[in-house]
Amino acid sequence: MNTTKDLSTYLEERVSELKRLKEDGKKVVGYITGGFMPEELVWAGGAIPVGLNRGGDHEAVLKSTEYIPRFLDAYSRAQIGYWALEEPLYRMVDLFVVPCTDKNISSIADCWEMWTETKVVKLGIPHNKRDHAFKYYLEGLHSLKGEVEKLTGNSIAEDKLRKEVDLANRMRFLLRQISEMRKSERPPISGKDYIKLHHASFHTDRDFMIKSLESLSQELKRKEGKKGPRILLVGSSIAEGDYKVYDLLESAGADVVIEEFSEGMKPYWQEVEDGGDLIEALADGYFRRRIPPPAFFRPATEDRAAFLLKLVKEFSVDGIIWYSTLYRDSYDIGGIHFGRMAQSKDIPFIKIVSEYDDAEHGQLSTRIEAFIESIEER
Amino acid sequence: MLVAGIDVGAATAKAVILNDREVLSYAISPTGFDVVNAANEVIKLALEKANCSMNEIGFIVSTGYARSAVPFANKAVTEIRCHAKGAHFQLPAVRTIIDIGGQDSKVIRVNEKGNVVNFTMNDKCAAGTGRFFEVMAKVLGLDINEMGAVALKSSQPCQISSTCTVFAESEMVSLRAQGKRREDLIGGIHKAAVSRIVTMGKAVGYEREVVLTGGVAKNIGVKKFLEDEIKMEVVIPEEPQITGALGAALLADAELG
Repeated sequence: MNTTKDLSTYLEERVSELKRLKEDGKKVVGYITGGFMPEELVWAGGAIPVGLNRGGDHEAVLKSTEYIPRFLDAYSRAQIGYWALEEPLYRMVDLFVVPCTDKNISSIADCWEMWTETKVVKLGIPHNKRDHAFKYYLEGLHSLKGEVEKLTGNSIAEDKLRKEVDLANRMRFLLRQISEMRKSERPPISGKDYIKLHHASFHTDRDFMIKSLESLSQELKRKEGKKGPRILLVGSSIAEGDYKVYDLLESAGADVVIEEFSEGMKPYWQEVEDGGDLIEALADGYFRRRIPPPAFFRPATEDRAAFLLKLVKEFSVDGIIWYSTLYRDSYDIGGIHFGRMAQSKDIPFIKIVSEYDDAEHGQLSTRIEAFIESIEER
Repeated sequence: MLVAGIDVGAATAKAVILNDREVLSYAISPTGFDVVNAANEVIKLALEKANCSMNEIGFIVSTGYARSAVPFANKAVTEIRCHAKGAHFQLPAVRTIIDIGGQDSKVIRVNEKGNVVNFTMNDKCAAGTGRFFEVMAKVLGLDINEMGAVALKSSQPCQISSTCTVFAESEMVSLRAQGKRREDLIGGIHKAAVSRIVTMGKAVGYEREVVLTGGVAKNIGVKKFLEDEIKMEVVIPEEPQITGALGAALLADAELG
């Protein structure tokens, strides 16, 4: 069985399948993929979650200027741009959930509220993990549960939710297991193929995705990949379709062996622990125990730095690429901080900023190639 | 064995031919629209000067923004690494290279072996590059090669608030209308561009010896304004425009062992 081929055939047909499901009365809940929206709640409510996370091409960014000022980050602008370009996934959403982590992501919610007919739910994400912050996030999940129930007319029963938590835990486990195979000197899966699994998981059926990941995991145990400089790719958002850094690294003979992003990655470092109240367990897994603490969770910045250094060690990383979209302020600040930290520990570090513009290709390729050359020369 | 390095930049193509790490010849010619043609032309010129043929060249490394388009190169290496190798060859004590080319500028830190330790470069904006000086010279009706000497005469360089090539152009027109002296306008242009490059380079820091390379290094005003800004002496190699091609040729030599 060729899992990758089967998965891409499935993905090509998924939009049509979703359209059919909608015609049969199913509801689609779109969401911004920062890792704070528990898909389990949506599945348990009888709706279909679809993570909206496309990016990487300039057309959507340009289109967004009809709706949003230029000086917001390219990723957030693209999420409005694809809606304006009438991308099918962006147009089939019945309810849109935006976990508001910073002003850029909040602006996506604002724009959808202003310009679309879709109901928007803003899920507030506190910037610390103290008790009152946990309660606030938990309250948000209760409110989201109510919205999903209202949308579908189904009540979210505990047994249904428990079954979905188990499935989501299985998916998290498999993604983590496959990612950890990249600790090998010759990783059996490329960085690009790994991130594409995350992206696929945002709009596939969970049963199908789990089966795919299970069989892929078996296939990979028998494989060996290439040896070369090993990169930790860090940043704010890695969008579906935005694979230029992966491609440039690959052509320079290097690859990403581990990445650390918010948008664009499923939270897979920890599972949801079932015990007592399930909504509270979701809040605990998705928020309180979330690994790693995002940069804006001050004073957790040091925790995050420690987490990145742990990844550097565990995955035998040769260099860090900090990848950010233009005008993503909080991550720009983080980039300077981590850059100094990495350099003080003699870890090669480079910051790359993108506006999803083809014109930047030459510059990016020179930077990335020179970075890899300097690692190889060490 | 003879080797060659070829640097196809945004404005000019450069080629260097080495014989046992000795420069046998070099050539510089405009890149123009067709980068492949520019590469062919410049290597032909360098071969003619060295009085040898392509068959005698054992290895060729290409660099510059069009490095991957050079059809006869055996290997492509980035200009960052080539500048490091070339500058280290020209001046072994070099630790910081400021390279100002036609459409980009870079600050590169190297170690005692000439290996790149850290670097930074401008983004797609042309501020602080050769192109910026070219546009400003045109606005002021001046030959680009005269600019540096005029800038040195400035006692009170004008404050140019924008280093964006487009905005600076209109600022220049308005300052000229205010009756500002020509040398102060040109001094202001130099100060603004240099300040932009120096600020960019602060991310990697400046350490002696500081070498200035690239076509813009031929502008004597830039050296003076750079020295004032970083408060260190800035050294210019004998032929600063070929540093990248020289580094490429040295890497070609290393390939042959």
